Amino acid sequence: MGRIGYFFLYLALIIVGLFQILPLIWLFLFSLKDNNEIFAGSPFALPSEFRWENYAKVWDGGIGTYFFNSVWITILAIILTVLFASMAAFAITRLKWKLSGLVLGLFMVGLMIPIHSALIPLYSMFLSVDMIDNPFSIVITYTAYNLPITLMILLGFYYTLPHEIEEAAVIDGCSIHRMFFRIILPMTTPILATTVVINMIYNWNEFVFVNTFISSEKYKTLTVGIQNFIGQYMTDWGAIGATLVISVLPIIVAFIFFSNKVVEGISSSAVKG
Amino acid sequence: MGKKKTLTLLSSALALTMLLTGCSDSEEAGEASGAAEKEIKFMHLWPEGSSKKHFDVVNEIIAEYEAENEGVSVDLEVLSNEQYKDKLRVLSTSGDLPDVGLTWAAGFLEPYVGGNMFAPLDDVIEEDLSDAFVSGTTEAYAMDGSTYGLPLELNIVSLYYNKAMFEEQGITPPETYEELETAVKEFNDAGIQPIALGNRDSWTGSMWYMYLADRIGGADVLNKAIDRSGSFEDPALVEAAAKTQELVDMGAFVNGFNGLADEEAKSMFMSGQAPMYLIATWDLPNFTTNESVPQEFRDSIGYLNFPTVEGQGDMSSFVGGPGVGLFVAEESEVKEEAKDFASYFVKAWGEEAVTKAGVIPATKVDAASLDLPEMYVDILNELNGATNITLFADVQMSPDVAQVHLDSIQALFGNQITPEEFAKNHEEALSKE
Amino acid sequence: MNGMNKVMSNKFYIAFYIAPALLLLLILVFIPLVLSGYYGLMDWDGIGEKTFIGLENYITGIQDKLFWNSAFHSFLLAIFSTLSLVIYLTVSFILASKIKGADLLRKIYLIPMLLSSVAIAQLWVKIYNPSNGILNVFLMSIGVENPPLWLANPSIVLFAIFVPILWQYAGFYILIYYAALKNIPESLIEAARIDGASAFQIATRIKLPLIKEVVSVTIVLAIVGSLKYFDLIYVMTAGGPNGASEVMASYMYKLAFSNYNFGYGSAIGFLLLIITLIVTLIVRKLTETKDKLEY
Repeated sequence: MGRIGYFFLYLALIIVGLFQILPLIWLFLFSLKDNNEIFAGSPFALPSEFRWENYAKVWDGGIGTYFFNSVWITILAIILTVLFASMAAFAITRLKWKLSGLVLGLFMVGLMIPIHSALIPLYSMFLSVDMIDNPFSIVITYTAYNLPITLMILLGFYYTLPHEIEEAAVIDGCSIHRMFFRIILPMTTPILATTVVINMIYNWNEFVFVNTFISSEKYKTLTVGIQNFIGQYMTDWGAIGATLVISVLPIIVAFIFFSNKVVEGISSSAVKG
Repeated sequence: MGKKKTLTLLSSALALTMLLTGCSDSEEAGEASGAAEKEIKFMHLWPEGSSKKHFDVVNEIIAEYEAENEGVSVDLEVLSNEQYKDKLRVLSTSGDLPDVGLTWAAGFLEPYVGGNMFAPLDDVIEEDLSDAFVSGTTEAYAMDGSTYGLPLELNIVSLYYNKAMFEEQGITPPETYEELETAVKEFNDAGIQPIALGNRDSWTGSMWYMYLADRIGGADVLNKAIDRSGSFEDPALVEAAAKTQELVDMGAFVNGFNGLADEEAKSMFMSGQAPMYLIATWDLPNFTTNESVPQEFRDSIGYLNFPTVEGQGDMSSFVGGPGVGLFVAEESEVKEEAKDFASYFVKAWGEEAVTKAGVIPATKVDAASLDLPEMYVDILNELNGATNITLFADVQMSPDVAQVHLDSIQALFGNQITPEEFAKNHEEALSKE
Repeated sequence: MNGMNKVMSNKFYIAFYIAPALLLLLILVFIPLVLSGYYGLMDWDGIGEKTFIGLENYITGIQDKLFWNSAFHSFLLAIFSTLSLVIYLTVSFILASKIKGADLLRKIYLIPMLLSSVAIAQLWVKIYNPSNGILNVFLMSIGVENPPLWLANPSIVLFAIFVPILWQYAGFYILIYYAALKNIPESLIEAARIDGASAFQIATRIKLPLIKEVVSVTIVLAIVGSLKYFDLIYVMTAGGPNGASEVMASYMYKLAFSNYNFGYGSAIGFLLLIITLIVTLIVRKLTETKDKLEY
C-alpha cells in the first residue's frame, strides 16, 4: 500500500474512532444538564450551566452501596462463569466421552432462551428454595445465563490448541488437573481476558434479574440505582446521566486492564505455539 | 498439587455459598424471635431520586402509623413505574404479592381480581372512608359489586398553552374546534409547530381522540362502545377518528410525533418550541411549583378546557380518572393490619399529597383552607363542577383490547388506517372478549 | 497413545470438568425453559387458574400474522448482523496488522459496547429526534426540506433501529476477532511473507482459514443474539409505530407482561426458541469445518 493509501486508511480509522468516542462525551455532557436541555437541545451542545448537583443527588441516593454490590456480584459471577466455562470447554474438546456432542448441543440451546420467558419460572424456583432477596441467586443466575456464550467463545480457541500439549503432559506424568490449570488455562489467557470483558459488561449492566429477585435496598446494584430516578410521571434524566457516568468509569478502567491482557497473554502463548 | 488447589478453590466457593445462605437464615431467625412484631410489606413507585416529595410524604405517613400502632412495622420496597408493573406481574404469578401495594384502575385490576389476588375493601370503605372519596373515583376500582382499590390520585386532562407565544403571534386561545383550526394554521404560518404530542406512548394520542369523541357524541358514547352496549362504529366515534386525522393533516402536531415519547414532546412544550400540549394534572407541578423550571415559563402557562366541536359538547366534561390506588393482598398473612394501614394511609394522604407533592388526591380536600397555587385552585374548582369524567380508554379496557386500541391510535395518527378501519379494529378486539 | 486415551476418557475427570457448568445450566436454564414450554400449553393469564388447552396456543401462534410480522423483522436483523460481521472482521484485520496506533484505536472502537443499553437508546433517540436531533438538523442545514421522521415512519423505523444495534455490537465482535487473530503464531505469517505473499493474500489465505472456527461461532452468536434481541428496540420504539419495529422477543414480552396473556406469551417464547434452533442448525451445517485445524 502506498503513502496515499495509508493516509486514507488512517483517515477512515480515525473518523470511525471519533464516532465511537462521541457517546462518552455526550454522556458526560448529558450528566450535567437538566431535562429540558437534554430533550429540547442538541445532544452535543454545552449545558447552559454545569449542573454538578446531578452528581450530588446521585451520591445522596446511596450509590455507594449499589456500587459495592455491583462490584462484588460482577466479580464473583465472572470468576464462576469463566472457570466453569473453561472447564466445560476442556471437557468437551479434549476429554473423550460419548455424550460430549449432546452436552454441547444443550449449551447451544441455552444460548437461545429469551430471558423474559425464564423470568417467571425462575422467580418461583428461587421462591421455593427461599432464595428471593438473596444476592447469591443473582450470582448464580448470571453465571448460568452467561455460561453458554462464554463457552461458545472459548470453544473456537480450544479447538485450535495443539494436541501435542496433552500428549507431552501425559507422558511427563502430569495430572489432568495440573495440565488444565497450569498449561491450558494460561495458554488461553487472551481469550479468557476477552470473555472476562464480555461477562463484565453483561453483569455490570444487567437489571431485569436484579430488579425481580432483589427487594432490599442493601442488595441492589447500580442499574437499579438508575431506576431510582425514574418517576411515575417525571424522570430526572440529568441524575440518570450522572449515574451512568459513575457506573461506566470503573468498567472503562477494568476494560483497559483486561484489554491489555488480551495482547500480553498472546505473546507468551505464541512462544509455546 | 494442582488437584489440591482446585479443591481449595471449590470448597471456598462452597463455603461462600454457605456463608451467604447462612447469613440470610440467621436473619430470618432474628425476625421470628420478635414474634409479636407484625410486618406489613408495602411496595410503591415513587423513588426518592425522581419523586422526593412523594417519597417523603409516604415515609412520614409510615412513621406516624408505626408510632401509633405499637408492634406493627412497615417494610418498604420502592421501584420505578415500569419496573413496578413488571415486578407485580412476576410476584402475582408466584402468589407472592406485597401486603399493600399500588394498582391502577379498571383494566389493570381485572386479571388480579379474577385471580383472587386482591382483597375486597368494601368493609374498609364503609367503616372508615364512607364519605372520603370524590364521587366516581372508587367505582373505577370496582368489579362485580366489590371495590378492590383505594384511589390516591385523580387526574383530569386539559389543554395547556403558552400564553406568551399566543400573545406574540396575536392568536386567540381556542375555545372551539374552529378556533383551534385557526390557531394551528396561524402557528404553522409563523413557522411554529402548534401542538406537542409524543404519540410513541400512544395513550397521549388516545386523549385527543377521546376528547373529540366526547365533544361530538357526548359523555357516554365511548363508554358504551367499550362496555358493549354501544359500538365503535357509532357515527360519532367514526367522526371523532376522522377529526383526529383532520388535525394530523393540517399539521397540528409536531414533526414525527409517532416516534416521540411523551417526555420529548413535553420538553418541546416546556422549552417554548410548541405552544400547546394536552396533558393531565400530574404535570401541574411543572407549571406551578417546580423550582427547576424557569419562573418565566411557569408564569406564561395557562390551561383551557378542551374546545367544543361545531358547537357541540360540554366543556365541563373531562377525560381523566383516578391514577394509582392502594390494594391489599388477599393472601396476606397480616391482612387486617394491612387493611388498617391502607385506610390510615388514604386518610393521611389527601392534604399532605396536594400541599407537599402537588398530587390531586382522589379524596376530598378543602381547597379553600389550603395554601395552593392559583392553577391548583382553579383545577380543583373545575373538578368540583365537572359533569362527567371519562376514564382513560386504555385503562377502561382489558389489557388485550387496550393494546389494540393503542396500536390503532398510532396507526390512525400515522394515516395508516381509515376511521372506518379504526372502528373495525376495536369492534373485532372487543367481540373476542 | 493408549495411556493417553485412558487418562482422557476417565469418567471421574469428565464429570469433574463438566458437572459445575452443566448442573447450573440444567437447573437454572433448562428447568425454566421446560416450564415455559409447559405454560404454553395452558390458557393462563399468569394469575388465576390454569386451564390445559393442549397445543392450541402453539397453533394460534403459527397462524398469528403479528407474530410472523415480528419474526420477519427479527430475521432481517439476523441477516444484517451476519453481514456486518464482514465489516467487523475487516476492521479487526486492519487493527491486528502491525499498524501504528492500532492498540489505542482498538480500545476506542470498543467503547460503545461498555455502555448500557439504556444509555445507548437515549443517545440514539436524541440523534433521531425529528426536530432537534443532530441528524435532521444536519440534513436541514444542507438543504433537505423534509428530512425523514426516523422513528415515526413505519417504512424506515426498522432500519433506523438496526444502525445503533449494529454499532453497539461492533466492539463485541472486534474483541473476539482481534484475540483470535493475535493468537495466530507469528512464525506462520512470517513464513508466508518470506514466500512473497501480499498482505491481502496473508489475510485471506492464511489468517482467515485459521480463525474459521471462531468466525463460525460468531455467526451463530450473531444470529441467535439477533433472533432474541429485545433491549434497544423496546426502549427506543416499544415495537412501534403500530408494530413496524416489533421483533419476536418484544412481541412475546408484550403478550406475557402487558397483555396478561401469559400462556400464549410463553408459547410464543417457545416458538422463538424453536425457530432459533432450526436456523442455528442450518447455519452450523453450512459453516461446518470438516477437518479440525491446529497450528
